[in-house]
Formats: sequence, C-alpha cells, structure tokens
Amino acid sequence: MSATPTVPKRLPTDWKSDAMRKRIARRYAAERRFKLAGLLAVGLSAAFLAFLLFSMLGNGLRGFTRTEIAVQVDFPASPLLLDPNAITDQALANANLPMVTGAVVKKALGADAEEWVSPTAWTVLRDRIKADPRILGRIETIKLPASTAIDLAAKSQGSPDAEAAVNRLSKARLISTGFNWGFLTLSDGTDPTQVGIWGAFKGTLLTMLVTLALSFPVGVATAVYLEEYARKNWMTDVIEVSINNLAAVPSIIFGLLGLSIFLNVLHLPRSASLVGGMTLALMTMPVIVIAGRNAIKSVPPSIRDAALGVGASPVQVVFHHVLPLALPGILTGTIIGMARALGETAPLLMIGMRAFIATPPGGITDPATVLPVQIFLWSDEVSKGFVEKTSAAIIVLLVFLLAMNGLAIYLRNKFERRW
Amino acid sequence: MTAMIHEQHNMTPTVETKMTARDVKVFYGEKQAIKGVSIDVDMDNVTAFIGPSGCGKSTFLRTLNRMNDTVASARVEGTITLDGEDIYAPSMDVVQLRARVGMVFQKPNPFPKSIYENIAYGPRIHGLAHGKADLEVIVEKSLRRAGLWDEVKDRLHDSGTALSGGQQQRLCIGRAIAVEPEVILMDEPCSALDPIATAKIEELIHELRGRYAIVIVTHNMQQAARVSQRTAFFHLGELVEYGVTSDIFTNPRQERTKDYITGRYG
Amino acid sequence: MTGPAILLLLAGLGAIAWVSARARAMRLQTAARASGRRDAVHSLPGYHGWYVALWTLVPAGIFLAVWANVAPGLVTESVLSSPAAQSLPADDFSRSAILGEARAIAVGAQAGAFNPLSQGLVEPYKDAIGKYGMAGATLAIVLAFAGGAYAFTRVRPDFRTRTRVERLVMATLLIASLLAIITTLGIVASLLWESFRFFSMVSPIDFLFGIKWSPQSAALGYGNDDAFGAVPLFWGTIFIGAIIAMIVAIPLGLMSAIYLTQYASPTVRKWMKPTLEMLAGVPTVVYGYFAALTIAPALRDFAVKIGIHGASSESALAAGLVMGVMIIPFVSSMADDSIAAVPQSMRDGSLAMGATTSETISRVLIPAALPGVVGGVLLAVSRAIGETMIVVMAAGLAANLTLNPFASVTTVTTQIVQLLTGDQEFDSAKTLAAFALGLVLFIVTLLLNIVALRVVKKYREAYE
Repeated sequence: MSATPTVPKRLPTDWKSDAMRKRIARRYAAERRFKLAGLLAVGLSAAFLAFLLFSMLGNGLRGFTRTEIAVQVDFPASPLLLDPNAITDQALANANLPMVTGAVVKKALGADAEEWVSPTAWTVLRDRIKADPRILGRIETIKLPASTAIDLAAKSQGSPDAEAAVNRLSKARLISTGFNWGFLTLSDGTDPTQVGIWGAFKGTLLTMLVTLALSFPVGVATAVYLEEYARKNWMTDVIEVSINNLAAVPSIIFGLLGLSIFLNVLHLPRSASLVGGMTLALMTMPVIVIAGRNAIKSVPPSIRDAALGVGASPVQVVFHHVLPLALPGILTGTIIGMARALGETAPLLMIGMRAFIATPPGGITDPATVLPVQIFLWSDEVSKGFVEKTSAAIIVLLVFLLAMNGLAIYLRNKFERRW
Repeated sequence: MTAMIHEQHNMTPTVETKMTARDVKVFYGEKQAIKGVSIDVDMDNVTAFIGPSGCGKSTFLRTLNRMNDTVASARVEGTITLDGEDIYAPSMDVVQLRARVGMVFQKPNPFPKSIYENIAYGPRIHGLAHGKADLEVIVEKSLRRAGLWDEVKDRLHDSGTALSGGQQQRLCIGRAIAVEPEVILMDEPCSALDPIATAKIEELIHELRGRYAIVIVTHNMQQAARVSQRTAFFHLGELVEYGVTSDIFTNPRQERTKDYITGRYG
Repeated sequence: MTGPAILLLLAGLGAIAWVSARARAMRLQTAARASGRRDAVHSLPGYHGWYVALWTLVPAGIFLAVWANVAPGLVTESVLSSPAAQSLPADDFSRSAILGEARAIAVGAQAGAFNPLSQGLVEPYKDAIGKYGMAGATLAIVLAFAGGAYAFTRVRPDFRTRTRVERLVMATLLIASLLAIITTLGIVASLLWESFRFFSMVSPIDFLFGIKWSPQSAALGYGNDDAFGAVPLFWGTIFIGAIIAMIVAIPLGLMSAIYLTQYASPTVRKWMKPTLEMLAGVPTVVYGYFAALTIAPALRDFAVKIGIHGASSESALAAGLVMGVMIIPFVSSMADDSIAAVPQSMRDGSLAMGATTSETISRVLIPAALPGVVGGVLLAVSRAIGETMIVVMAAGLAANLTLNPFASVTTVTTQIVQLLTGDQEFDSAKTLAAFALGLVLFIVTLLLNIVALRVVKKYREAYE
C-alpha cells in the first residue's frame, strides 16, 4: 500500500534456512572469541602482576636471611687480652678483635676459613663479650655471619670454591640460616652481606614528613579556595589550568625545577630530605587539590545553606561543616598522593639523592637517600649479592605501598557517604 | 483511507495470533513485578498496553523480546510463544528472536552514526542484504515505510543524532523495520515528543498496521484509543482487562479499569 | 639566642596573647550584655584571641624570616672589618673558604681548623653571630609585644574581629592557591632560562634536527657541533613510549575494560579491577628493575635464538613492554569511563535489534566512545614518554636511530638523568642540554594533555 513501485518486493526472511543458521553460528563463534580475548587481556595483565610479584618474592625473601657459620671459640686459649672484670668500650676497641676473630676462625675451621666469615664477624664476638664478660673463661660455639661468597654459595649461586667450602661446612653441620636483622638496621655499604635499608628508610620517612607538611595544608587550602570562595575570573582560570597541568607534568620535570631553583638559586643543601620533600610536595599538591575539590564538591549545598541560614559566616561554614564532612575524601586523596610520592625516584635523582649514604640522616638537612633510590642504586651494583638485597628492599617498599593503599580503601569504605 | 481499513478489520475479525503469553510472571530479585499475565497478540491489530506508571506494562513488553535478559536480577516464569515456538526455550536463539521481534524505545536512541548507517546496522549484522545495491534498497524502503525518506533523502550521511526528536524516533522505527521483523514493540514511543511529532508517529503506526504485529505501551489513554484496536489494562503487575479498544473505553467490565479511564487514579 | 629558642618564646607569647585577649573580650562582652547593649557584641571571644595572637606572631615572624636572610651578610661584613681579617688573602676563592671554615668552627659544626687563618677568625665570628642573633631576637620580641599591645587595645565588645580574622584566612587560602601558579611559572622559567643558555651555545636547529647525539665528546672538548642532535632521543622516546608501550597497553587495556564492564560477573569485577589497578601503583623503579633483570635478558636470548642481529641486553622492546604493562590500568580506566558514558539506551537499541554483545560493543559502544578512548590514549602516551625509571634502567644509553626493537635505544628522560648525574659544572653545554630536553618534554606532554582533555571534554558534552 505504502510500498512504492521503485522498491521491489522482498521475500520475508527465512530464519530457519541453512545459510541463516550457519551465519548465526558464525556470529556466536565471533562472540565467544571476543569474550575470550577480553578474558585473555585481563588474565595476561593479572599474570604479569603475579609474575612480577613472585619474581620479587623469589629473589627477595633470601635477602632477609643470612648464612651463619658455627665457630667454636676457645676464649681462654685465644690471643685475646681482656680482663673480664674491666670490659669497657675502650678496652674492647683496643683488643684488636678483628684479628682475633680471624685467628679463632682459622683455628676452628682451617687455614682458608678466614675468608668464609664476614669482615664484620668480629662485632658478634664484641657484642657477646659485652653482654656477658664471663664468656671469656669458657669455650663457646658462636654463630658468625658468613662472607658474601659463602652466603651466595649457600643460596646456591656461588663460585665453585665457595660451593666446596659450603659443602664441607654443611657436612660438618656447621652452617645455618638466620634472620638478617642487619638488613633492617644497617645502611648502605659496599659488602652486600652488610647492607641494610635503615638509612634509606629513615630518609624516606623524613622526606615524606616534609612532603606531607608542605603539600597537605597547601593542597587543602587551595581546594577550599577554588571550590568555595574563588570567583569566576581569569585568575581562577589560571590557577585551575596550572593545577591540572602540574598533575600531568612528568615527574622528572619537577626534579629539574628542584635542581635549578632549590639547589642553584636558593642554595639549599644537596641530597637532603628537605629538598627531596619540597620537590615531591610540588608533585603531590595537585593530587591533593583534585581529590580535595571532589570531596568538597560532594558535600551537598543544603548543608551550606543550613549553616548560612543560622547566621554562620562563609569561613565558619567551611571550617565547621564542609571540611569535616569532606575530610575522609581529602585524606584518601592525600594517602594516594603520598603513596605515589613514596614510589617516586626520578626527581630525587635530579637533586642529588643518589649519593652513597652510609650513615642514616640525623635531620632533614642531612644528606639522605630514600628507598626507591636505594633500590635503583643497588640494582646498578655488579656484585651478585645485591640482587637479593634489591628485591628485598622492593618487597619492603611494596609492603608499605600496599599498606597505604589499603588504608585509603578502608577510609573510603568506612566514611563514604551517599547523599 | 485509514478509516476504511478500520472498517474492514472490524468486519472481518479473522485474526492470526502472532504471540501468546500464558501465566507470565517476572521477578526482579525477590520482588515480583508481573503476576501471571496471559495475553494474545495478533497480526492485524495494534495492541495497546495501558495502566498507571509502575504497573508493569513496560516490564511485560520487554519480556516479549527477552530484553529482560540484560538485567541480571530479572527472572521470567510462564510461557511466551512466537508463532507457537516458546521464546524462552533453550532452542530459541535470542539474537534471532530480537530480529523477529523489534523494539522502539521511549527515548529516541539513534546510534551516533549516519542516518544510512543507522538503518543499515540491522541488515548488516544479520546478513540480510546481498551486496551494496541491495542494502541501499533496504535503506530506502525502510526510510519510506518510516515516513522519513522525503525528509532525509538528501542527507543520508549526516549524523542520525542531528535530526529532531520526532525524526529520530521515526529513524528508530525505520531501523527496526529494516530487519523485516514480524512484531514491533513500542515502549511509550511518543512520551519524549511534541504533539506534532506524536501525530506523525501515530499516523505511521496506522500505516504499519497489518504488515507487522504492533504492541504499544502508552500512558496516554487518548493515544491508545486513537492507534489501537485491542487494549490491555495493567494494574499492579496484573492484567486487569483485555479486549477491543472501543469496548474497553466505552464499556469497561472491571471496576478498576473504569476508575482508571475516568481518571480516578493514574 | 638560638633559633628554636626564639621561636618557642614567640609561640609562648602568642599563646599568652590569645588567652588574655579572649579573657578580656569575654569580660567586656559580659559587661556589655549586662548593661543591655546586646547588639553591641559582635565576635566570639575566641576570635579576639586569634586576632591579638596573630598580631603578635605575624609581624614578628615576617621580621624573623627577613632577618634570617639578612643577618649572615651583616655577620660576614662585621667579621671582615675586624682586625683579624686584615691578613686574609685577596682572592675570593680562598677568602670564602677560610671564612666558611671559621664559621663552621664558630657554630660548632667543625672541631678544628685546617687553616690557621680561620682559627683567628673564629672569635670575631662568634662575637658577630652572638651580637646579631641577640639583636634579631630583641627586635622580634619588641615587634611581637608592639603588635600584641596594639591589637589588645582594640579589643572592644563591638569590634569586628571575626571579619578581620576571616579576611586573613581568606588571604592565606588565596596565597596557597597561588602556589600552583608559582610552581608552574618556576618550571617554565627555570626550563626556559637554562635552555636559553644552552641555545646560546648550540643552535636550536642542530638540536632539534641533528641526528648525532654524543654529549660526552662535547664535554671532552671536541666542540658542540654535531654533538647535540636530539633526533635519536626523540625517536627512542616515541619508539618506546608511543609505539611499543601502546601496542601492549591499548589492546590489553581496552579489552580488559570491555571484559570487566560488559562480561564479567560482579564478583570477578570486584576482585579484578583493583588487581589491575595495582599495576599502576607499583613504583616505576620496581618495573625498571624487573625489566632490566628479568625481561631484557630473556628477550635478548630469544632474539639471539631466532637470529636477530644487534640484540642488546638493554632493548627498546624490554622497556616498552614493561612500560606498556604499567600503562594498562590507565588505558583501561579511561576506556571504562568512556564506555560507561555511552548512554544505556544505545546498548539497548543495539541488543533489541538482535545484535550480539560483541557486535554491540565493537559496532556501537566503541565507535560512540571513541573520542573518549582516543583522549585516554593520548594521556597515556603523554605519561609514557615522561616516564623515566623504566627507560633509565632498561633502555640503555646508546643513541641509535633504529627500527630494531631488540636494539638499544635511548630516550629524552634517560639522557636528562644521564647528563645531570655525577659532578656538574653548571655552565657546560652538557648539563644545560638536559634542560633543553626537559623543555621539549614539558611542551610535548603539555600539548598532548591539552588536546586530550579537549577531546574528552567535547565527548562528555555530547552525551550530557
């Protein structure tokens, strides 16, 4: 009726025809392939993450242990000249313990055994004597930390010589594995058995404190200003554009800024947590501003109206009502920003935090390093023993990041409010 | 002319039943939205579903081409057949079913593609066209049937979203027609349109009648009276009354229907 | 008087000011109320407290900040005018070395002097530091008292202290938000200034279009010509960040987003989404280490096995692959947002035509979401080319113009790190080149971001 003569009449579609059945089967096959591709993409991504974490765990857990060699120490017969009744630090320092330890080890294990224990093994003897001076009159079996070569061999990646030594020792049941407390209490060093993350950890802590102290107040103040008070004018636009751009600027550019302004113009101390913290604060601030603005935005206007309605001033409205309600959101954003700063490496390299720092920093102006930079430095070491230390440091870093992100998620879930 | 068709159908009530529903219940999780509806939809009449909002008429409409499948929590009980085939049977292919039972939505939803591509979408995915020329024929025919051809024939490659609301809705009807469905479901197709566009759609429904079984959900009783020959009144998930439109409006048998039609609630 | 002590003292004064002003305001207001002038009371006593405390602290604080910068100069001047300074050598370098040593001994940072001359200067230094320290402290305290007293006299029941305190709060907020502009300006200024110095030594044309990069040879004195052609760096950056990484990240990120939003059950989505997001939370140094330690050697062995020449243990492929994985969550969350922004009615419309889910996704949802996805990819590229640690650790330093993904290439960020680590003389073209590279990186990432945000914004508006 309404069909015009130009259009030929079509037969109704025969959905039961063979061609149509085949076609539909093909379409379903395509559907399955597509879905499989999606599953594969998710699987691959997750598998990569798992592979990364497992390879770090596999390498890194060994970094938390150390190999120890049991040595029988015959104190009375040793060339140690110490009076058990007058053990002072000075007396211990004068007793030439390193040499004595070497002699004791040689006597107990053989002529070539001196190289099997760590060069710092004497500190174990020192601590034992200090703890109980009466030990000087006894024969005692003491576990001394093994040298890097032996340590690696015991973890089955050593040289043939060291392997042979380990075989001998383990046959004599003299070798054992203990938790490497030094990894948590020592700082950077040249001997992989004698390095720890304490120095880097302390540096990280100081740097993060500076970052938080600078970026949090400024970030929150900016968010409040932009969201609550700023009039729509060119200056507000410039501020907004600046913040959005800063959030997208590559981190290394902040390092360049730190180098040329903080170090070369303001002459602040190089390699210090202060400058590191300031640089990271500039990076973290936009994150806090953006999170803060979203949190403030989500507080419904009715609350502001109510407060204004009972005669509160605009400042009181914000500080008494809006900010407390927006605080969980702001805190979540802050934690996420801090977690990003915690993992950041590149800008800190620019301001000289890659120096070899063997003593933990005492304050924010002391030369310091941070965990990610320490990881970077160790990853460049040639000595094989550093591989496990690097991975172990990565585990520590990841645990901290996981904890921070977990806290952020917890905060979000606990305080999330639906208006 | 339309009046004449009307007459003819009233005189020859030999109807071919296209879809039947028997004791259909729909649940959303724990909540029951449809409480045992049985109805027949035939080829020659336009069937209107009316009722106050939230009465389940749209929900029921969506069971007829299994659009409820896309809602994870929805569950359908009872039987619905298309030409005697159970559409919820495992052997029924949902892709094929939806090609045979087309749907037009409340808000015009043309794809953000050209007018041509909008119409060609269905024939392409179902492989209905044999070559480019054939596809062009289908597009022209569908647009003609949707009463849109004269308005858009010079700008087939403009975006479908650039059309006016009424034109968009006719485009969506054309899009549904292009796959040669047997049934067309319309879910309040005019509720987002102005009166003039609404009149055009209604006119279009008249013209499409007889070629497709048409089911239209509307909350506008005048519209139901204007376009349909059969009317079903839904209330609180139940089918209260179903019959010839003129009877329902002039002589409702149920008290509830009467109350609704006379405007006691709604 | 030492710095911490004076700060502590000031804080004490501020606290006293707060307490006393608040008490006074309370007393006055009670009196005013008692006499029936209820409307004469304006601000809460606490605001009066803050008002006076701020008047006590702020001027003194500003003075101390200025003084800390001025005092060292005054100290040095007075030391130089002391009789012991007459014997100082004339040349600036040794003079400042001696002064520095004397100063270090005077403040107790150093135990003894290497130079006998500095020993003689220790006493004058101690005197001068003591004198000026005392002067600064006295002045600061006087200022604190003066400010506090002035404000205290203004405490009256009807004085509008709240307005004034709030005005200061507003000013603080404004200054805080200006810091973002200052930072941006600082970045632009420092990059421009150092780059300007660089371009006075090396022509911008040679830098931007030269194909030979060997800053070492320039540093060794072979001249700046032909040593700073940055094209190999640009190519390496694009090769790794915009090509290899995207080949990994776009399909994986897009398909992950599609699977998780369109197919996965709620439980799977609930667990897998945060899992994928963890990929973005892993520090880049960890990725770099992983790429260098595990991926790169494996790729090299693979390349050698299939007989590819020029395979290096630091390869573009290793860095690009790992970077791509890092970018996956980024692409996937942008794609997720874009697909979610496509109205549900599109999806329904397509499904109601009898399209399968995959047909709906690939023919309706993705084309509709394309601008958003493209914007997201641009942002991802901008992030990838600015990424530093992965390429520093895994891509290498050889400035090769090569298409071989198994070969070593270097990038802009790698070279910035390379040029600026170690001992620096700040005037050499070698160190300044890092800033020129930084400038290029800054401009490119900025442009990418602006374009991307425009695209995304336009697209969002289309569905609102």
